[in-house]
Amino acid sequence: MADLTNKCPLQARPGLGRMAWVFVRYGNFTLGGGSATAAILRRALVEKRHWLTDEQFTLCFALGRITPGTNLLAFCAGSGWALRGMRGAITSLLAASIPCSIFVIALTALFSYWRDNHLAQEAIQGAIAAAVAITVKTCWTIAKPHFKGQGRLRVVLVSAAAFLLYVVAGIPAIEVLLLAGVVGAFLPAPRA
Amino acid sequence: MNIFLLYLVLLKGTMTAFAGLASLPVIQDALVFHYHVLTDKQLNEAVVITRSTPGPVGLYIVSVGYFVAGVPGAIAGWAAMSTPALLIIPLVHFVGRRMEHPRVKGVLQTEVIASAGLLLAAAIPLAHDALTDPVTIGIAVVSLVLLLVTEIDTLWIILGAAGISLSASSIGVLSQISG
Repeated sequence: MADLTNKCPLQARPGLGRMAWVFVRYGNFTLGGGSATAAILRRALVEKRHWLTDEQFTLCFALGRITPGTNLLAFCAGSGWALRGMRGAITSLLAASIPCSIFVIALTALFSYWRDNHLAQEAIQGAIAAAVAITVKTCWTIAKPHFKGQGRLRVVLVSAAAFLLYVVAGIPAIEVLLLAGVVGAFLPAPRA
Repeated sequence: MNIFLLYLVLLKGTMTAFAGLASLPVIQDALVFHYHVLTDKQLNEAVVITRSTPGPVGLYIVSVGYFVAGVPGAIAGWAAMSTPALLIIPLVHFVGRRMEHPRVKGVLQTEVIASAGLLLAAAIPLAHDALTDPVTIGIAVVSLVLLLVTEIDTLWIILGAAGISLSASSIGVLSQISG
């Protein structure tokens, strides 16, 4: 496994400004969610600029997937850390999160502004119906990588148990997740 | 709502989720059902907004923060979204070499699967709020089918849904159906 503590060689280390620009440019303007953005960043960081090795990228990507929160931001922080240590991690995190957050704030303000506009509300109502479908589909997106071989039964049982504990037993989501972690420690190891 | 408390509530959601929307049930629990500072409709709107803009899906937290407390709330949302990302650094040191340990893999996998079940549960009140007539139900069903069987970007699905809803309203289909 690649070791991120072997950071970018000194001669290949980008300045913080150049690094920030790459993360602003490729981390904020790609439609299609985190995986699409990570693919674009791979091209920029590994193939085009050779700032990261393929192994470093893969390790950052894998660890980003198991870091709580937004996977893409964890990936960016890990890549930044590999390039320039803690200052690099913070720079890449800020560069990859602030511009897109400003877009979201602007659009949210517009949604609030359109609250009394009948036509806008009709359009928003349709978009919200699609958002329900997106939320349901995300369940499958999350579970799908584990739904293979003998893991299928685990996916069905664990997700159904979480669903029922939350909906029927009324146990708060955070407690269900903590319980899931404890159960996971004692279940047989998942197969690759 | 106190901004620091809002940050902590949102952080509780992001720290216990391993994918963008997976934090939604915890956020919904706290802000919609417990503190009553957010509605299911606003939560749905936050998802729409995030899927209509570039960037990660986890950005919906920023939108949620704005709905609760304006720009300071959005900043709290941004902070709650960004803070967990720095955990990757200790992870590199302490977990990186243990990632293949069966117990670590088991805990992470079970957490992820449970979050999928919780997200499905969280979709129930969202659907109850959003799917109020045959047109919106039809949009949701068709959107779900398109999402499952095609590679169409969610942005186009959202824009198409908005267009269909607007058109249906404009030609009076809604009033004919309900009347």
